[in-house]
Amino acid sequence: MRFRRAIWLPAAVLVLWHLGFLCAGFLAPYAPAEQDRDLPYTPPSHFEFRGPQGFHFRPYACEADAAAAGNQQSSCYPVHFLVHGWQYSFAGLRSDLHLFGVPAPRRISILGTDAYGRDMLSRLLFGGRISLAIGLLATLVSLVVAMLIGTLAGYHGKWTDELLTGGAELFLVVPWLYFLLALRAMLPLHLSASATFLLVVGVIGSLGWARPMRLIRGVVLSARERNFVLAARGFGAPDVYLLRRHIAPMTGGVLLTQAALLIPQFVAAEAALSFFGLGVSEPVPSWGNMLAVLQQYSVLVSYWWMLTPAIALVVTSVTYCWLAERLQRWLKSSSI
Amino acid sequence: MRHLARLCLLLPVLAVFCLAAPGPAPLQPREEVQLSKDAGQYGGRLVVGLRAEPKTLNPVTAEDAVSREVIGGLMTELVHINRATQQSEPALAKSWKVSSDGLNYTLKLRRGIRFSDGQPFDADDVIFTFTVYTDEKIDSPQRDLLVINGKPIQVSKLDQYTVLFTLARPYAAAERIFDSLAILPRHILERPYRDGQFLQQWSLNTSPSEIAGLGPFRLKQYLPGQRLVLERNPYYWKADSAKRRLPYLDELVFVFAGTEDARLMQFEAGETDVVNRLNAQNYFLLARQSAGFQLQDLGPSTEYNFLLFNLNELSSSKLPDVARKQAWFRDLRFRQAVSAAIDRDAIVRLAYGGRGTPLWGNVSPGNKLWVNSTIPHPQRSLEAARHLLQSTGFSWSADGSLTDPKGQSVEFSIAVASSNSQRMQMATIIQDDLSKLGMKVNVVPLEFRALLASVFQNYNYEAVILGLGGGDADPNAEMNVWVSNGSTHLWHLGETRPGTTWEAELDRLMNQQMLTLNYQRRKRLYDQAQQIIATNLPMVFLATPDVLVAAKLAVGNFHPAVLEPTTLWNVDQLYLRQGAEMARSH
Amino acid sequence: MKAYLARRLARAVLLLFAVSLLCFLLTRLAPGSFFDDIRLNPQISPQTIATLQARYGLNQSLPLRYAHWLGSVARGDFGFSIAYNTPVSRLMWAPAEHTLLLGGVTMLLCWLISVPLAVWSARYERSLFDRGVSALTSLFISVPEIVLAVGLLAFAVRSHALPVGGMTSVGFDELPAWGKASDIARHMLAPVAILVLVGTPVIVRHLRSSVLEVLHAPFVEAARGCGIGGARLLFRHVLPAAANPAISLFGLSLAALLSGSLLVEVVTGWPGLGPLILDATLARDLDVVVAAAMLAAAMMIVGNFAADLLLLAADPRIRTGSPDAV
Repeated sequence: MRFRRAIWLPAAVLVLWHLGFLCAGFLAPYAPAEQDRDLPYTPPSHFEFRGPQGFHFRPYACEADAAAAGNQQSSCYPVHFLVHGWQYSFAGLRSDLHLFGVPAPRRISILGTDAYGRDMLSRLLFGGRISLAIGLLATLVSLVVAMLIGTLAGYHGKWTDELLTGGAELFLVVPWLYFLLALRAMLPLHLSASATFLLVVGVIGSLGWARPMRLIRGVVLSARERNFVLAARGFGAPDVYLLRRHIAPMTGGVLLTQAALLIPQFVAAEAALSFFGLGVSEPVPSWGNMLAVLQQYSVLVSYWWMLTPAIALVVTSVTYCWLAERLQRWLKSSSI
Repeated sequence: MRHLARLCLLLPVLAVFCLAAPGPAPLQPREEVQLSKDAGQYGGRLVVGLRAEPKTLNPVTAEDAVSREVIGGLMTELVHINRATQQSEPALAKSWKVSSDGLNYTLKLRRGIRFSDGQPFDADDVIFTFTVYTDEKIDSPQRDLLVINGKPIQVSKLDQYTVLFTLARPYAAAERIFDSLAILPRHILERPYRDGQFLQQWSLNTSPSEIAGLGPFRLKQYLPGQRLVLERNPYYWKADSAKRRLPYLDELVFVFAGTEDARLMQFEAGETDVVNRLNAQNYFLLARQSAGFQLQDLGPSTEYNFLLFNLNELSSSKLPDVARKQAWFRDLRFRQAVSAAIDRDAIVRLAYGGRGTPLWGNVSPGNKLWVNSTIPHPQRSLEAARHLLQSTGFSWSADGSLTDPKGQSVEFSIAVASSNSQRMQMATIIQDDLSKLGMKVNVVPLEFRALLASVFQNYNYEAVILGLGGGDADPNAEMNVWVSNGSTHLWHLGETRPGTTWEAELDRLMNQQMLTLNYQRRKRLYDQAQQIIATNLPMVFLATPDVLVAAKLAVGNFHPAVLEPTTLWNVDQLYLRQGAEMARSH
Repeated sequence: MKAYLARRLARAVLLLFAVSLLCFLLTRLAPGSFFDDIRLNPQISPQTIATLQARYGLNQSLPLRYAHWLGSVARGDFGFSIAYNTPVSRLMWAPAEHTLLLGGVTMLLCWLISVPLAVWSARYERSLFDRGVSALTSLFISVPEIVLAVGLLAFAVRSHALPVGGMTSVGFDELPAWGKASDIARHMLAPVAILVLVGTPVIVRHLRSSVLEVLHAPFVEAARGCGIGGARLLFRHVLPAAANPAISLFGLSLAALLSGSLLVEVVTGWPGLGPLILDATLARDLDVVVAAAMLAAAMMIVGNFAADLLLLAADPRIRTGSPDAV
């Protein structure tokens, strides 16, 4: 009962959020790679409910610089819902149905377009699908590894600890850029989409465990010496029981906090991998490669709508933080 | 004809003599150059942003463009290429004479010139300089310029102000070589050279008193990671039309910015006075505010960007995939189809923001003396591309994908340097263009040196986007790209003899133009070479960016040029208008 | 205690050795070498490049190069930078000082800001203050560092409030002593602000979460019962008990003193190790990269040692046996 009350709201928001990206094909008005070379960096269209015949319920999309174009009539056009457009496949089904669209030669750009005139909304939706999966999976991988190694090091102590923390330290200081370069050189030139995905998750996950491992080790080190743990051990409780029943729950706070921190970090890290040819490459969108564009000063100050992936990332991260906090509160209340 | 050419070369010399007409010269030395530019005002400090930190101040060992740009402020050469006219003109050598067989160059040096530490300059410095540059143990990157036909150029001193250079065989426009060879002070560097210490000389940590040159400035201070400060060389050998000694500036400061954008931000914030090689996006950013700046679009640069297919000899056991695809790449009509399908206008519009020029040949219109303007500029045509593919046996399967005569679908990857956002954009545009022909193109971004390792060492690439050019505008600078045994013969490295008839013809033309001393005849030969290259497409040429520069309004005599160093080539004449200094210190 | 220190030292040496070995292996595995980019210059022959490579020993076998490198470490040179044609140690001192200055100030500010923030927002859980802190931290956690950096610099450029890039103004030498100090401080403002915005949320979140756990522990209730309350309770009793993850974090941030600010240094043009290392990495000036990794490892050893000692001091539970337990 308590669990449900604490968790359902952030969880529901997150499910909806992820569902939206899952249905990217339906929500996106255009294919994410479709270029319209006459319209690079178009600002978002705005909407009007006042047409030539006065007020109506159908929204009209208007180009941002309608006044500049001089032709008031043609710069606003009606938005239609549930229209047929480009083909996409969703869970094995092929469809061409889209939530909304505008009559053919016109284009609607709710979030503007990028350097190639590609629709930012469509790219954001499709990119989110990839990036969120990368962020979540990579976080999972690195935290599982961190948890295993950190617990082992903290609980066993002695030489195991020395060896494992030494290994983690080694991991933190070695110039990984060269490792990435070497890895790239060993792989075939072109990597398929699924191979890229696995690679990104694998690389980020396996390079990211060292920091959380340090934190978990510290907590376990201290938890091991708590009175009730010592008492349980005195009663002959086996290690596995101790770890599972007493020590693991105490790492919950650190784990949850780390998870909330790592998800956005790992989404952005994918862009860094792209520099070495290991990330998601053009024309497939990902939040990582969309964020990478923001490093350019000229883009950042000239085209504010290019910031939307950053905003989406903030929304994701804030909701995950929210969930983490609720989970932690529940964990605490249930453990007392 | 040959006489006429020589007269052409001498014209600037004569012009200088006319300008330096008799009259009581206020300056001690008699043979200083005088320039007819606007008379500037003395004083002030010009701050210039650099992409990176220079690595050395030793002109003999410097390899990177940034170091060379800084050294350009400290040193001068015998013969100078005027960046505005792209012609050679006298510098430390007041004149030169070429023997009729083209093998002997006699250079007359200016008298009474002093290094920045006050020591006199004469033929011994020149002899010493060229001894160092041609020394195999020093192995300067510039040494290769001085080795013609396997033999280093011989230098001998005729008298204190005359030197004779002897070539092993005729070499067109040999005097242009001198432009990249800064003259060294024998009185400082001879001893370390004898002791085998030359390579350690003139690092960034060298004390300013140990560095002397003939350039407009001399070293004052170096702050690691931050800036390099040069001060006026009081012995500089040029004067303005009012016979006042140049340079006008008290100080020239190079500030190191980590990134292109950082350079722009420093300029926008008013911390630097000049910024060169802007990209189009940053240029627009400045254009929108335009207050207090002078922005210049100098037109197309001499750089050319191209799509290169891997035509190297591969052992099919090592790279079976690439070797299989080479059957397509070797097919001229396949390359022509790719070229026809590429939307070069879109590349210029999107990657260069319209500040660029599409290319169909290897010489950009920015290279005024050598471009062959008769090379056709066919419109982009997917129709033509399809016809070409059809005619060579390609067909389309039901889902629209292209299949080769053996029934395999056409898919290849384009490698591109991930640090170069313009070339990344080109790759993405080409990918989209070729998808309309049913080709599946994968863009593979690679870190720059990893990319170079693929291109030069293991040949593990299918196609790649690269850029060349930007050095000297003369065709000789590009010899090794076009002759089949050249070291930068990118599409087919390590070739010992031409693999095709057109390559044989190209070899012949390039070698011929190198031996031809007459400009018109050379131009005709090089025109033919360009024609062959454009027809046979060893590279699919894409576009060249415009050279975009900006300076504060206060910078006077600002006449940037297409050739490097774009903005600082006339740094000895740049000056700051009064009040500018006050404005900055605020 | 002596045995403990000896073991720590032995481990440190072992770690440094392993780092250097791994670095050499990795740098050998990665494609590309220092002289690759001049291959693109048609006016330089392959023979010249080969001679240059031979001069710097780039064509030697890996064990031989490693042996040479060990020799140079023994001489105190820590390798030779090809790009700058000078021993690495001479190259790294000044930038390392600058980075240390930046990192030190940042770290001080980070902890000064985040400890009170975390403790108060945990103390007043679910208050408006707590929610505000929570929202802000999750905002700054999720914006990538580099976007934040470029954004802040853009603001500095447009507002003309801060100098952009570098550590000192061009006319620095002409300034009086206090002017010099304030000039450096003004140049430091942008990088420090970025680093604090990036660093603080992480500490706040961890510390807040562990303080929350402790606040509900029986001993806190007991202390309250005994009349110990307010700030004394929070900072004297709760904070040390909750410090565990924060101390590990402190160790990590101490370890990252030299390496945590590299990206920001590059973007803001701070003349520290960042631009140097990035340049060297991309240019394959391998000895500089190895030296940087060794420096980072040394800092890591110091940081973790400090963290372990602090953990020992703050958390008496760990102190059961000898310090060997750590």
